[in-house]
Amino acid sequence: MFWKKGKRGNNDRKDKPQNATQTAVTLDGLRQFLANMEDAEIIQRQTKTGQKITLVYIRTLIDQERLNESVMEPLTHCSHDTIHECIATSRLTNITTVAEAKKQLVQGSILLNDLSQNKWWAVHLENPLSRGIESSATETIIYGARDSFSEQIEKNITLIRRRLPITALKTEKFTIGSLSQTTVVLMYIEGLTNPDHISNARSKLSAIDFDQFLDSSEVAFFMEDHIHSIFPQFQETDRPDACAYSLGLGKLIFLVDNTPYALIAPITFFNLFQSPEDYFLRWIVASFFRCIRYLSFVLAVTLIPLYVALTTHHYQMIPLEIISVLLESRSKLPFTPFWEAFLMLMTLEVIKEASLRMPTKSGQTLGVIGGIVIGQATVAAGFASKVLIVLVGISAIASFLVPNYEVTKSSTLIQFFFLVLSAILGVFGIALGGIAVLAHLNGLTSLKQPYFAPVTPFYRKDWIDLFIRGPLLWMKTRPEYVSPLQKWRSNRRR
Amino acid sequence: MVHRKRAVLLAFFFSIVLTTGCSPFVENNTIEEIAPVTFWYVSSGGEGKLKISTLVPPLVKEKKRLLTLQVELVKQGIKQFNLINYRELKAGQTRMLLISEELAKQGVISLINTLLTDPELSQRLYLAVVRGNFEDYIRNQLNAQPSLDYFLYAMLKHYEKHYQGEMTIVNLHQFMKKLYSRFSDPILPVFKANKSSFTYEGTAFFRNDKLAATIKTMDDQLFQLFDNDYYVKILAMPALSVTIGRVRSTVHMELDANYSSLSIKIDLSGRIEEYRGEKNILYPEEVANLTNEIKSYLEKNTKALFKKMQQEKVDPLQVGNLSLHPFAKPLKKEEWSRYWQQMKINVDYQLHLQPLINIKK
Repeated sequence: MFWKKGKRGNNDRKDKPQNATQTAVTLDGLRQFLANMEDAEIIQRQTKTGQKITLVYIRTLIDQERLNESVMEPLTHCSHDTIHECIATSRLTNITTVAEAKKQLVQGSILLNDLSQNKWWAVHLENPLSRGIESSATETIIYGARDSFSEQIEKNITLIRRRLPITALKTEKFTIGSLSQTTVVLMYIEGLTNPDHISNARSKLSAIDFDQFLDSSEVAFFMEDHIHSIFPQFQETDRPDACAYSLGLGKLIFLVDNTPYALIAPITFFNLFQSPEDYFLRWIVASFFRCIRYLSFVLAVTLIPLYVALTTHHYQMIPLEIISVLLESRSKLPFTPFWEAFLMLMTLEVIKEASLRMPTKSGQTLGVIGGIVIGQATVAAGFASKVLIVLVGISAIASFLVPNYEVTKSSTLIQFFFLVLSAILGVFGIALGGIAVLAHLNGLTSLKQPYFAPVTPFYRKDWIDLFIRGPLLWMKTRPEYVSPLQKWRSNRRR
Repeated sequence: MVHRKRAVLLAFFFSIVLTTGCSPFVENNTIEEIAPVTFWYVSSGGEGKLKISTLVPPLVKEKKRLLTLQVELVKQGIKQFNLINYRELKAGQTRMLLISEELAKQGVISLINTLLTDPELSQRLYLAVVRGNFEDYIRNQLNAQPSLDYFLYAMLKHYEKHYQGEMTIVNLHQFMKKLYSRFSDPILPVFKANKSSFTYEGTAFFRNDKLAATIKTMDDQLFQLFDNDYYVKILAMPALSVTIGRVRSTVHMELDANYSSLSIKIDLSGRIEEYRGEKNILYPEEVANLTNEIKSYLEKNTKALFKKMQQEKVDPLQVGNLSLHPFAKPLKKEEWSRYWQQMKINVDYQLHLQPLINIKK
């Protein structure tokens, strides 16, 4: 009862400032809002005709040079009576309420008070504080475009629009986060993307109620169908070509302001193993490397658990040539295979995490110390067998072959899960764990579309771009799991 | 409803697990705590007892010793070995079972059945008969060859792979299959052991589970051409001063309607790799003469080999299978044995030999 009352009270409090912001803009009102803001400036200038104009802006958010060039200079030399006649800029908007004034100020606009007409104008002069277009740091490729997204959403939209210069490419803007006021842009191709996905995405974005969003992954967490899963249900990428390709297949793109990572949905588990480079290489070569990625994922997840299972339970399964090597290397170790593997994997994770967090140069040193010194010393001290060190090395490298970083992280967790199962139940435990992971993957959805498609549900035609990357000439239809409105990718159907 | 479906599915999966016979009670198989035995040597211990020997610790580079026990039962022996060794002996990696000739003559069915029913043991376990004192050989070689057990296994594996055509190699599954088939008798390789050597002797023919006869040298080579690999790398015939290499055979056997005669046609291809006789094989006529001599020689020896099999009442080539016809009642084993002993053998060789030299015309 009290809780309900309290909740109502909160809502009341929420309404109050809303009413307050509906009031007309006054200089005093603005002064009140800008109190205790050192970087807020209220200055007055006089035009050639002697008219006084008040400028209100937040210094750190605007481009000072453009302020001088586009506003100060024209104003001081202006002989017209009104501001909109003096300033020839397309981004001049008339504002009436305090709410609008506040919004414009924090978005990097300058408010101008035209006393002759008693009107307030806003000129958008946002400081384009951004790095240049650089190549992707997380999805590096040899062939293909080098550009990647930056923190500026407008720039990111441009990069996609340049790849898809069609009017059917729509962008819908949403603002989320009561504090961060983060702009999210939903992109899709009208007449191609299934309207159900679009309305689903719209409703998910509109339903977001949180204070701040600093990264696109945080937005994804609010839109995911299964929040407790270790698998990402939105693909994060900073490559505009990957986004353009996905849009062309009938998928949705979510661009989030102040983050270089776009979200792609709906996706499948197998999309996370695909690299843009797959489509730039010869199909047989690309297929081979894609298969290696899948194999590496399986290796990364099962290699160490298999070592533990075989050395703890199933010595019968080890080839005689290898068993003698294992017997030799394990004969004087103080730990059981499980604890030996667990400690080595934990050490590896510590080294990996430390090298990521450290500055680049220190990170390299750490890699050398971790990889060579600790690895060598562990064997010499008799804490781990040489065989395990080799396997840990293979497993660690294999885990990095998956193009998606989130899957790499997930694979580590699965590896530990399998490790425990293998120590208790052996290979049978790994099989049980495999069934559990597959069942979980089978139950996942991405924007309510099956995550394990086209394996389950089975879409025969989509297998051409699954484990192998078939010839582009044969990829005549868009993926069925996306249910696009236009099935065919070519105009001439055969 | 969804929960019920899930429960049914889970129950279904668990029942699959249970029906596979997976035991929930696992043994301690931690690799550094066990000694995975690679071979057993079983010989007759007198008074119905068995003498079991193995080398411990297996597969590691530590000082090894030969453990020997005299027991009534095989499993009893394995149990008692654990009591005298600091690591538990495990049979899951057993790759060879060497049986002494005396024991093989007494019968090996109980031994084979024990191995067959052991779920730990792989059916790809090599079986061999050893003539002579194998224990002496092991003791003598302990210092010279520390990884003796592994090298023995590697030798058998090498000759099994890709049908090398040098020696008979038989595993537990193959032996069992022939032992329990109506028209076949099992075979095993025979090795001769003494203090300093361990040499391949030939092939042992078993009547049921008892060693009946052993064939050596030329007979064994012919046997490789008839059954085992249909290939012999080098077929040396010292009587004719000739060696044929890369010999491959295609054997066609035909049984007459009343099982009184067996016609064997063998297409033999190879090349003359060595000749130290009187003939000048640079001339085609001389080559033809030599070929005829080889043909007669092979036919004579083949007939003798078959005669031996008939005398010993063994049918390792599974000739009896030729008596099987669709919609006809198969012969009883005794019936076939009776026919087999009295059967007339006709052998016809077709030789396709390359002289490997330029022949003068």
